[in-house]
Amino acid sequence: MKRTISLKVNGVERRAEVEARTTLLDLVREQFGLTGAKLGCDIQVCGACTLLIDGKPVSACSFLAVDADGCEILTVEGLSTKDRLHPLQEAFMEFGALQCGYCTSGFLLSAKALLGECPQPSEQQIRQYLAGNFCRCGCYQEIVQAIKNVASGVRSQE
Amino acid sequence: MRNFDYLEPTSVAEACALLKQHAGEAKVFAGGSHLTILMKQGLYQPKALVNIKKIPELKVLKFDAKEGLMIGALVTHRELETSALVREKLPVLCEAESEVANIRVRSMGTVGGNLASGEPLTDLAQIFISLDGKLRIAGTTGQRTLAVEELFIDFYTTSLAEDEIITKVVVPPLPRQSGIEYIRFSSSSVVDKPSAGVAVRLTLNEEDVQVARIVLGCVGPTPVRAVKAEALVLGKKLTAALIAEAGAMASRECSPSADLRGSEQYKRAIVGTLVRRALKAAYQKAFSS
Repeated sequence: MKRTISLKVNGVERRAEVEARTTLLDLVREQFGLTGAKLGCDIQVCGACTLLIDGKPVSACSFLAVDADGCEILTVEGLSTKDRLHPLQEAFMEFGALQCGYCTSGFLLSAKALLGECPQPSEQQIRQYLAGNFCRCGCYQEIVQAIKNVASGVRSQE
Repeated sequence: MRNFDYLEPTSVAEACALLKQHAGEAKVFAGGSHLTILMKQGLYQPKALVNIKKIPELKVLKFDAKEGLMIGALVTHRELETSALVREKLPVLCEAESEVANIRVRSMGTVGGNLASGEPLTDLAQIFISLDGKLRIAGTTGQRTLAVEELFIDFYTTSLAEDEIITKVVVPPLPRQSGIEYIRFSSSSVVDKPSAGVAVRLTLNEEDVQVARIVLGCVGPTPVRAVKAEALVLGKKLTAALIAEAGAMASRECSPSADLRGSEQYKRAIVGTLVRRALKAAYQKAFSS
């Protein structure tokens, strides 16, 4: 049996028909065509499927879509505006904070959640908050540098 | 994942009635961080999930001078970690929570779910047991109180009946001259499940140990109290020799299995070390409290 849920995705009200077993990741990728979030480990370890629900990072691979009814979802596609990248995206490019890009949307969203909670985190806070996002190209140093750069306020945050 | 009915009760009584109606074929759904993984792997195939997140009374987090800290079943790991009240009353919980899994699991996962899952490789149970924490449990025939220690039966198996849910954890106020220390050790990465987690709580009478709780987690099907090690230190002033003896005793009081987080021998050695360190730290804290 399908259920109708309504949620706000990247600022836009959406409705969807989902089965109880549909994950949030399948919903955004397959029904909404937002493929920035990736399926990685499927057990909430790697962070490739990170999305923000009401500002909090979750593993969309293990989050039921029905459970997101009435919530506000942010995906990486919602970070930039029409003609401008988000400061975190700009900094990731400038510092070379990615190679293959598979983990990048998860890192960007986790970093966005961190800066939402704590606008000027220490390097230790950045590392602790992002400890659950894995980058198998090994761009950790550059990722931390990029986030520190945004937190330092040299770019306007949004 | 097999499909299932998704039920959303708005009261504890309604939730328990739904569980009873499904006679063991329904699972309680809170944060879902544990359950969804096991369902995707086909290890659980419930006919229904009973989502309890729409029951406001399960979200309580408050301190009562007589009863102690009350932690509703739906309080998330992250809420415990960042709560100013918890930081004031029981900072050990904030410190322990900051090391649980990763930020996403902490945002979703709940205290009630953590305990009810019966997952042995976790942290909170050891701490609650060391503090003589109690569970309030609701079922279709009424409510009952259970020591946290008595919840766990075996791997992923608890003493909850099929129509019961944990409504809250109650941690009594610490007596004067008490100290608690929790140390967890992960052998691979900081975000991995622990190889071992040891909670020690001591309450002193002058310099002597009046109450000792040494709780060993992740090294057996359920958390266990190292009762022989506790008995060793009881009524005594802690010396380096006694601490070493208690650590060695505790390392023999658990039943770790060899896995990717270490061999049996390795985990016993870790337990011995953690018990020694935690005893020393808890003793010092009890003195300065």
